[in-house]
Amino acid sequence: MNDETFLNEPVEVVAVFRAGHQPCRPLKFRRLNGREIAVQELGLRHPVNQGRKTVHIFDVTDGGADYRLEFDSERLTWRLTMEADHYE
Amino acid sequence: MNKPEFNDERPLIMHIDLNSCFATVEQQARPMLRGKPVGIANRRTDKTALITASYEAKKMGVKVGMKVRDAKVLCPDLVVIESDPSKYRYVYHCLLDIMKDYSAHVTMKSIDEGVIDFHDTTADIQGRDLVDIGMEIKQRLKDEIGVWMRCNIGIATNRFLAKQAAGLHKPDGLDVMTPANIREVLGSLKLTDLTGIAHRNERRLNSVGIYTPLEFLDADPVVLQRIVFKGVVGRWWYDRLRGWEVDDLETDIKRVGRQYVLESFHLTHEEIGQRLHHLCESVGSRMRSQHKAARGIYVYVKTVEGGYWHASTMMQLPFSSDQTIHMLAHRLFDNAPDGLKEIGIHCYELQPIENPQISLFNDHIIQERQVTDAMDGINKKYGERTIHSADTLGTGLYVKQKIPFGGTRYL
Repeated sequence: MNDETFLNEPVEVVAVFRAGHQPCRPLKFRRLNGREIAVQELGLRHPVNQGRKTVHIFDVTDGGADYRLEFDSERLTWRLTMEADHYE
Repeated sequence: MNKPEFNDERPLIMHIDLNSCFATVEQQARPMLRGKPVGIANRRTDKTALITASYEAKKMGVKVGMKVRDAKVLCPDLVVIESDPSKYRYVYHCLLDIMKDYSAHVTMKSIDEGVIDFHDTTADIQGRDLVDIGMEIKQRLKDEIGVWMRCNIGIATNRFLAKQAAGLHKPDGLDVMTPANIREVLGSLKLTDLTGIAHRNERRLNSVGIYTPLEFLDADPVVLQRIVFKGVVGRWWYDRLRGWEVDDLETDIKRVGRQYVLESFHLTHEEIGQRLHHLCESVGSRMRSQHKAARGIYVYVKTVEGGYWHASTMMQLPFSSDQTIHMLAHRLFDNAPDGLKEIGIHCYELQPIENPQISLFNDHIIQERQVTDAMDGINKKYGERTIHSADTLGTGLYVKQKIPFGGTRYL
């Protein structure tokens, strides 16, 4: 089974920007309910054009579920747009 | 001078294939899926066919093209994910960038495979062992995209043998085919394992007593040319199997089309017409992106009962605007039967878009071209479907852009 929940939730994110193949890496994020999630691995980062602006999509995991974070490069805002777990 | 039987030059063609590409990319993006059977479908419904299955799913007997419900019978734990074209397009461009670092002569055969021709690359690169370069590309995929990325690499003197070599040890293989090992490799394969030999060609070969790739290799070129393939294709196969290049040809675009399986089988004729209109806009945009206009248009439908209906028309003058495509398609579609499950259109008899001659009588053609150019310019700058007809306002929710198979023109 694949339990994907699609969201559009503003989140606070701590991320590092550095040189290399993955120049931006989210480290942890806090959801609206106050729950803090530590990113264990960045799966893939890919850009998507939404009109003239670019949104960077970060697929990450905390080791228990997969999450999709979207970074709006124009407004500099983060949103949690998908949570997936219960694969068994 | 006669060329030797086998091409014994240094193998300088490298085929790279991201096997189970979409499933592997999803497993890369979503680490919790790794090691689990994953299937990718364009829609998460039981009747949709899988477009990719992960190696774990394939081990359980799941095959590409299988309906989701049939795949779940074989593999109840199958995780079905809806395809995400932007992700695959990104990985495609990453792979292309890596490949271009080694030669200017890179040809992408589809979204997940490509060929590097090392013949005219720099002396530094040519001086290196291609097996080392292959290993380096594998590592770069992991470093630059992610640790779960794997690819198969084949090296040979021509595209055909390089692709065969890439398929020998899936996943993550790297093989070289040369005249020294070709008999051994072909001896381990079936005829239908050869790229380009499906059941029809297999029957043709069987009809002259050829049942294995080795018998195919040893076949008389005259028999292949005159009896089996009835033309020059037979000679091409003879050369292809011996490592001579016959496949480095650019094929011209013959038609542009799109189809759509309706999201519900209870839509009204008007609602289906709106979805057809959406397809017309999509086809028009793709066609113009290749600087082509069409003279022919073909509309088809499939019915819930399994029926197939089609209609087509040819125009004297080429057309490329969304309005004209829709007008012609709609006129044909008016005669379509009821009870539809799939609709599709193709534009054919393509030719380059030419600037119309200025005359007293075709002002409307020039005006239509100018409006279309302006719309295309806006859509290119601000994103697809920024401007579209009011008729298709709500259809984008259903008729989404999916993976273009078999070519990389629209990536």
